[in-house]
Amino acid sequence: MKLHEKLLTHYLSCTSPVDKEGYLYKKKERNATYQRRWFVLKANLLFYQERPADRHLLGVIVLEGCAVRRSESDGQFAFSLVFEGPGLKTYRFAAGDGQIQESWVKALLSASHCYLSLLVRDLGRQYEDAKQQQGSGTSRHSSSLSALKHSTHFLPVQGRAAVVREGRSFSACPVLQTQSTTPKVVAKKSPKLWPRRNAHVTPLNGPAPLYGEWPLVGFDPLEDFGKLHDYYGQEVKKAREEWLGSRRAKDESIDGHLIDLG
Amino acid sequence: MRFNEKELVSLSRQPSEMAAELGMRGHKKGDVVKKRLVKLVVNFLFYFRTDEEEPIGALLLEQCRVEREDSQSFSIAFLDEAERKYLFECDSEEQCGEWVDSIVKASYESMRKNLIFYRTEIHRLTGKDPLEQYGISDETRFQVNNGLQLTPRDTSSL
Repeated sequence: MKLHEKLLTHYLSCTSPVDKEGYLYKKKERNATYQRRWFVLKANLLFYQERPADRHLLGVIVLEGCAVRRSESDGQFAFSLVFEGPGLKTYRFAAGDGQIQESWVKALLSASHCYLSLLVRDLGRQYEDAKQQQGSGTSRHSSSLSALKHSTHFLPVQGRAAVVREGRSFSACPVLQTQSTTPKVVAKKSPKLWPRRNAHVTPLNGPAPLYGEWPLVGFDPLEDFGKLHDYYGQEVKKAREEWLGSRRAKDESIDGHLIDLG
Repeated sequence: MRFNEKELVSLSRQPSEMAAELGMRGHKKGDVVKKRLVKLVVNFLFYFRTDEEEPIGALLLEQCRVEREDSQSFSIAFLDEAERKYLFECDSEEQCGEWVDSIVKASYESMRKNLIFYRTEIHRLTGKDPLEQYGISDETRFQVNNGLQLTPRDTSSL
């Protein structure tokens, strides 16, 4: 398949700002060594090159359909981009320290088009609500946070998690479908709340079925973004607490940024 | 430049509301209109030969200009070059309009602008930052003054 590279490089170099850039180590697939690369994140595209000043781009990773995972088993400050599906890759990275790791994981989690799309719809609805409420003087809590109170598989919802949402498998996105695989880590798998339809059954040649026929019939993305956020947030909250716990050994003060709303 | 081809091909197979057989003409001189299955997924426009499973190509729909050419066809111009234009022929005026609309809305940059607008307005109307509940208020990509934002650099010695 031809990826019109010039369009990507043009986009990268155009005036709209970059979302994040910095050095990371990227693991080579073959011999498992790490190579330091300069990464530039813009929209749902992760570019990399040897050095910041280089004109020559080594590569780009399109960030759709991947989960972002902290992978300490790969080494210190390691994380990965896991594309789920037969024959699809996992990109492995390591950061220079925990802070860099944290900030990259966070940035990558909110990078996909899919995520942004859900977020925009959610905010669009909040905006409409807010406009209607304007005269009444009441500020209304977002109705989108009707959290999952019950779930057989997953971590109990403890209320809002003001932390980064992790393990965003693309079953959460109304546009993408997910493969069903055996859950390795429970909180990262599809909630299986919605009936799923196998997109491979869809004839490629025909017009796409109407939106309503797709997996998320009855799914209200506006309402559910909050649910998704809460739901995936639990795993992240836990991981973050573990990470903070290891930091506490060095630093006595408790991280004030973590708001406990539970 | 390397790219995650398999993953992109997998992406191209995802369900999409905008997928149809259109006439497509490339930007080069001498290019003719060919029947292609054109599919919009996220901010990429994939195009396939009618019976094939793997797309011929993928066009990133950022920094491009979509224009109505006539009642049933539209064009997409890339790289700020008027000449680098792809032409698409639809079956109806309505279909043409839908495509133009969808492509414009599909761009990440336009979504980001909407997000920033909503964020600002919601804050103005309610006094609250709607991104706080998701823990993403500080992300560069969502900053209100996005155009002026300094990019964070991680130049710690590794």
